[in-house]
Amino acid sequence: MKKYLLTIIVIFGLPAAVSADTIKATVNGMVCGFCATGIEKTFKTQTEVRAVNVDLENKLVTIQTKQGQTLDDSKIKKLLGNAGYSVVAVARQK
Amino acid sequence: MKTTTFLTLLLTTFGTALVSKAKPLSYVGGTMVMQENDETGHTISSDYTFTPTNAFGLYIKQEENGKEIFMLTPEFNTLLKRWNLPDGQGNIFNMTGAGLAHYRGNNQPCLWTAFLADYESRRWFFSYEPRFVWDGNIEKSVWQRTRIGIAPYLANYNDLNTWIMFQVDHHPAKRDHFVATPLIRFFYKTYLFEVGYGSNQHIMVNWTIQF
Repeated sequence: MKKYLLTIIVIFGLPAAVSADTIKATVNGMVCGFCATGIEKTFKTQTEVRAVNVDLENKLVTIQTKQGQTLDDSKIKKLLGNAGYSVVAVARQK
Repeated sequence: MKTTTFLTLLLTTFGTALVSKAKPLSYVGGTMVMQENDETGHTISSDYTFTPTNAFGLYIKQEENGKEIFMLTPEFNTLLKRWNLPDGQGNIFNMTGAGLAHYRGNNQPCLWTAFLADYESRRWFFSYEPRFVWDGNIEKSVWQRTRIGIAPYLANYNDLNTWIMFQVDHHPAKRDHFVATPLIRFFYKTYLFEVGYGSNQHIMVNWTIQF
């Protein structure tokens, strides 16, 4: 029984543990290309980040992390705060 | 060739306009180079943002339309207040420089400070900037500049942004006390370019690059 449970945990748990995050942050104050560049460059300096995209129209910053890595909400808010913007919400998907 | 003449030529060659700063700060670690050539003279400045609210740089200006004063100062820019709104952003900045002014063989210490208040959405732009300049015993002056703008279409980050703007300057120390300048601004990613034509028949050309 233990072996059976362990197998299930490995099969279903491992992909989640090593998968990448797609994080969508809704941000106030983004209005121009200079804003977008600042945010992109700020996140690209983070070793956990694979890609970042800024959507001015929908006020969204989409961050894709590397496999098995993530950025917690507090770090995202701190990075965006340091770039000069306010985070309204953070949503995640694996 | 006099140093000031050389620098004036250099400034003129690199563009035509005073720094109609998009904003006097970028992101931490970011550098901006700006040039402005307008009825007040030729300006070039560069600054490096080292904290979320502070930037340090160099400001060089050759004044025209009055006393042809040459100014060279380090510059310190501070974000005093920012409002991040759902559809826009408002800011109050202070920019201050202290250095050297040169006029007809006379070198004087100089000091200038300016406050820039702006509001920008993807559709609307408004700014107001009072500037106080002290050039030792050469000149003391106060300027005001205000600008409104509208984007005829809403562009995203990777699109060419276009703005139609109108600027009014009030500088009693200059020959033309009031100058109104309609202008057009193009903005693509981190490149900003503006061209306008003032009521005193001066062409204005500004550019900013952020990297």
